[in-house]
Amino acid sequence: MLRGQLQCLSPRFLLFCSFPSSAASFSILILILLLLRRRRRRRLSELKNIAFSPFACFSRRFFVSGMEKERFFGGGWKSAHAGLLPEVSAFAGDEHLPHSFVGFGWEQPVHGQEAHAQQLESALSSLVSSPSSNAPDGNDSVVIRELIGRLGSICNSGNVSPSSRCHSAHASYYSTPLSSPPKLNLAGADHQRQRMLVNQVAAAPFLADQGFAERAARFSCFGAAEAGQLSRVSSRQSLAKEVAASYAMMAGSSSSPEASSASEKLTAVVAEHNARKRKAAPKGKGKAAAPSSSSAMDPPEEENSDSKRCKAAEAGGADKDAPVKPKTEQNSSDDGNAKPPEPPKDYIHVRARRGQATDSHSLAERVRREKISERMKLLQDLVPGCNKVTGKAVMLDEIINYVQSLQRQVEFLSMKLATLDPQLEFDTETLLSKEMHQVHVPLPQQVLFPLDMATSAFSLAQLPLKLAENPPDSMFSSLQLPPIDHLANLWEDDLRYVVQTGFPQSQEAPFSSGALRAE
Amino acid sequence: MDTDGKADAGLLERSRRIKTAAELGLARSSRGRHWSRALLLRRRLLISKEETTTTTRAAVEVEKLGVEDEPEEKMLQARVRTLQRLVPGGEEIMEAERLFEETADYIEALQEQVSAMRALACLLHGFQRTRGGS
Repeated sequence: MLRGQLQCLSPRFLLFCSFPSSAASFSILILILLLLRRRRRRRLSELKNIAFSPFACFSRRFFVSGMEKERFFGGGWKSAHAGLLPEVSAFAGDEHLPHSFVGFGWEQPVHGQEAHAQQLESALSSLVSSPSSNAPDGNDSVVIRELIGRLGSICNSGNVSPSSRCHSAHASYYSTPLSSPPKLNLAGADHQRQRMLVNQVAAAPFLADQGFAERAARFSCFGAAEAGQLSRVSSRQSLAKEVAASYAMMAGSSSSPEASSASEKLTAVVAEHNARKRKAAPKGKGKAAAPSSSSAMDPPEEENSDSKRCKAAEAGGADKDAPVKPKTEQNSSDDGNAKPPEPPKDYIHVRARRGQATDSHSLAERVRREKISERMKLLQDLVPGCNKVTGKAVMLDEIINYVQSLQRQVEFLSMKLATLDPQLEFDTETLLSKEMHQVHVPLPQQVLFPLDMATSAFSLAQLPLKLAENPPDSMFSSLQLPPIDHLANLWEDDLRYVVQTGFPQSQEAPFSSGALRAE
Repeated sequence: MDTDGKADAGLLERSRRIKTAAELGLARSSRGRHWSRALLLRRRLLISKEETTTTTRAAVEVEKLGVEDEPEEKMLQARVRTLQRLVPGGEEIMEAERLFEETADYIEALQEQVSAMRALACLLHGFQRTRGGS
């Protein structure tokens, strides 16, 4: 059983094990160790207690459940270890530390869960103690960051594993964001949220380290976001809450109010993840938010702007650099438990520029204009050939032309499809009734052409030329559309409308129906 | 294609149905969006869709508004109105920024739809070719 799971999990953890990805997920111990460095030994004992207790509960809860993952790390991926260890050691000057830690962390799990947990804690202790003895600052922190992130990834995967089956979807989820952690172009609005959580989690003592903060957020968000998105089970939320609680613990006892609110936000964001459907198109443009916010700002103000940005990201899915009012109307359907409980929600912090009026009206007006110009920039990116034109009117003209041309193309293509395949029939009443009754059972008699454009776009767009040469019989076998699986997870209901073989008479019909059935 | 005259009406009808199905798929593919909800509502109530005209509506709009002071503002307004008409459910959106957001999402969805339909047409065309050849 576990071996089967190992097989399933292997592609996913291949990506996890790749070095850049591990770089992104070492935040938990980073917190501990940074605290260590900043506060010298005064807090060492305190930190040890703090660090070990959440890690204890992490390990107990998540390692037990995610046992196969550690085994995977330890056993199935020995080659990756060989690759990892030199990488890690190459990354920093200090060789003893990473080796010992990695040795503890990765070779041991094969032997037993409890043993692994204890190994982890002993590794933690060695890590915690060694930096105090070691002089260099920079190298260690980097290395330790990597290791911590890897640990965090274990916890993450422990988070995800209990109720997630081995979806190949996971691979895609992980690959897209994790393959490029140094850049900030992560997929989806999660990136925005991660940055929120960066700021929240790292608020109190860790503001100085921006890169670490990013990674912390990424790690936490990946755990939370993955947990939230991939399987919408209620237990997921409880797990996420536990994660958030332990984050709050680890973020430092001194900053407990902020940490608790941060954990609340984390939970809320996770819940919001559960509620929302994620868009596949990456919209990671708001990079400026993270650097500007994680550089030393006051925690409360930071949290204000973060909560606003958080809500903005949740609400719009678009990136806003300036703090904006929460847009509730767009999320009226998703909003059940999404909003984090932040009292100063509706304030917009805008800085008045030199030489400009500072009364509230003009400020609001300026904010509004900035928002509009931001949207226009977004549209400019979408519409091809719009970069050269300047001025709102011309841009609007271009946009209008583009929308009109797209709509005309749709009409033309529908006409063409009608001519191409005379057997294509569309039962629009059925589709409408389906829409109204939310029925997910595919109808047997009628021929439904779901033509779920967004999904079939991904699959069919790659296939047309290749399949044109194949004879129709082999078409069925060659129509392996791997992206469909996780796309199906994304657009859950839409792919339920399976094309039924409603063409009893004609010969050509099975081709198209079979082709569509394969989707 | 034989029986073009007779099949024309049927063709038009079928193409309209295809387009409807495409629109439904499009609308369902991005839920929670204002324009998708408006599109579905439109379909449900069987309101005949406004055919997109070839003439730019901005010119029409400007004439309607007349030449008043601040022609530039009027031009902008005209264009915004046109865009409101193009995007389904746009007339209900009052603020410009929300309209632009919806427009961006609608454009994305339209692009995907066009590419999907184009791929499908290519696929079926390929089938026809192989079938015709054998």
